Amino acid sequence: MSALSSKLFARELIVCVGAGGVGKTTVAATVALQAALLGKRAIVLTIDPARRLANALGLQQLGNRATRVELPDARGELWAMMLDLKRSWDEFIDRTAPPERRDAILQNRFYRTLSSTLAGSQEYIATEKLYELHASRQWEVLVLDTPPTQNALDFLDAPRRILDFLGNEPLGRLIAPALVAGRFGLRLFQKGGKAILEGVSRLTGVETLEELARFLVEVQPTYDAFKERAAKVRDLLASDRAAFLLVTTAHGTPVEEAIAFHRVLIEAGMDVAAVVANRVHPDHLGALPLPSPEELADELVREGVADSGLPPLSERLAQTLGEMRALAALDARNLERLAASVHPTPQVRVPRFPTDVYDLAALRMVAGHLFSRS
Amino acid sequence: MPQLWRRLHVVTGKGGVGKTTVSAALALHLARAGRRVLVAEVRVQQIPRLLGAQGRGYEIARVAERVDAIALEPREAMREYARMRLHSKLLVRSLLENRLVSAFLGFIPSLPELVMLGKLLHCVRTGEWDSVILDAPATGHGLTFLGVPRALRDTIPPGALRSEADWMQALLVDPAATAIELVTLPEELAVNETLELAEKAGGELELPLGRVLLNRHVPPRFSDEEISRLEAGFASERLEAAARAAREHELRARLCRHYEERLRASLPLPLVTLPMLHPGRSFGRAEVEALAERIEAAA
Repeated sequence: MSALSSKLFARELIVCVGAGGVGKTTVAATVALQAALLGKRAIVLTIDPARRLANALGLQQLGNRATRVELPDARGELWAMMLDLKRSWDEFIDRTAPPERRDAILQNRFYRTLSSTLAGSQEYIATEKLYELHASRQWEVLVLDTPPTQNALDFLDAPRRILDFLGNEPLGRLIAPALVAGRFGLRLFQKGGKAILEGVSRLTGVETLEELARFLVEVQPTYDAFKERAAKVRDLLASDRAAFLLVTTAHGTPVEEAIAFHRVLIEAGMDVAAVVANRVHPDHLGALPLPSPEELADELVREGVADSGLPPLSERLAQTLGEMRALAALDARNLERLAASVHPTPQVRVPRFPTDVYDLAALRMVAGHLFSRS
Repeated sequence: MPQLWRRLHVVTGKGGVGKTTVSAALALHLARAGRRVLVAEVRVQQIPRLLGAQGRGYEIARVAERVDAIALEPREAMREYARMRLHSKLLVRSLLENRLVSAFLGFIPSLPELVMLGKLLHCVRTGEWDSVILDAPATGHGLTFLGVPRALRDTIPPGALRSEADWMQALLVDPAATAIELVTLPEELAVNETLELAEKAGGELELPLGRVLLNRHVPPRFSDEEISRLEAGFASERLEAAARAAREHELRARLCRHYEERLRASLPLPLVTLPMLHPGRSFGRAEVEALAERIEAAA
């Protein structure tokens, strides 16, 4: 068993994080697959998988429904679920809001901010769902593929922002009732309060202010329930039952983002099991020096292959090798910088394959690299 | 409507497809055609460095001949918007430095996007630049960004914000003014997202589409016959590595052709292929110039 798999599969929750477009879903699915192959009952929770990968996992649609993936040779079980974040939010309101307020909340335009556009809200509701499924004890290993995060802080900061939203003391309890009652400009701010309130209404319009205020009043009762749950989710993620996998490619920008993300996770007391460098350009020459076209021409002749064409085959081969090496060298430099910046978190590299990864056979190939023993 | 003469180019695509590099290349291309260009990024600033210039925080800065760059940032854009609305520096300061107010503004859906987009579209309106290029945030976010005026128009009661949203929406849907440029890669996920984006942008959002820019394109280099000759297996390790690199090159070239055909068949838009480059270091001015030339040749 590889070092990564013994470390990861001692955990019950594995959260894959990273920038968009780095292959997080593939890595998450591969980790769950490996857990199943090792005899665990595992589930991967994904947000928005590529269609063909979704098909490979037997996922037809959104809907928070667990689907079993057929794996005849696995000792364990592989399950997959596509998360419907909007629905998860609705369910959360169902559970926590007083029944008489429920509809008013769900229909308020500002509920949309809370459930979709508020930075980090999607990330939060995904971890909330993870918590719920973990508590159901139906699976031994749960792997979460998180939504692409623009800002590393959004991920861990989300509960605080949502709490700010739900329970902003002065806004929720002072301004809101005052606005709703239509009594503008009460002594809500100590000084210049009226000017400020009027200023805000000139920025946004009075109606917008009023509707937001109404929403804050309606949603108030969910505050304590959310706070309690958010604390539990966070404790679980920081516990030794959970580990994070930070996924990146070897490109400059994702590497910078991964370094920032790593720092945020470590500062928050989270355990980062490894950084996965995905789609790394391989150098098939290994440590061999780059051959010149002339050297390749000699070798082609020696091996009985005609050095024909225009430009000659040897020249085109040399060019191809040169390009391959340039890509690999750039990746290697970026990944060294990454390794030094996240020390002592281990780095695992998965090479770039010539074709896209979208079926179970390809996931097994990724698993071979992710969990290689060397 | 010739691509060159649109006033606003919104460069979209999923994360990691090379939007920023393409935005910079488009800026150089338009500047060479004699246009005064402003190129804008959201929340980050990479284009000045790509063009070999210094970025200057959140102010507009000259980064190449006839090319200015700006990084849009929500706080700064909010401040400018407030200044425009309130006509009082003192009030703006006391408002925006008030913790309650800034928390409150954070709850208004999409307000940061609206003020940033507003600032950019204002630049389009002033006529100070002939072409304005926006390096939009990654796909989902990119469309969210462009969809903001429309969403606000539909959800927010008439008032200050609504009237902002109205003129912005009118500019965004005007095919004589705006072009949504679709950057993509010869890969399944990227192409699917591009097709979805085109459908959504061109349909529901009524945004005028410009062209498809297929990035990291690899043309074929070896014939089938050569590839099969190279299958043989060699004693020389170097030749073996070369054969493998050649096979992978052709696999990739085949994928490029496949995705190029799929894009052409699905989208009735001009398609520009941008070559995969191998500088062996981070991209800089030379790579951006190479891509600008390619865009020029295709125009």
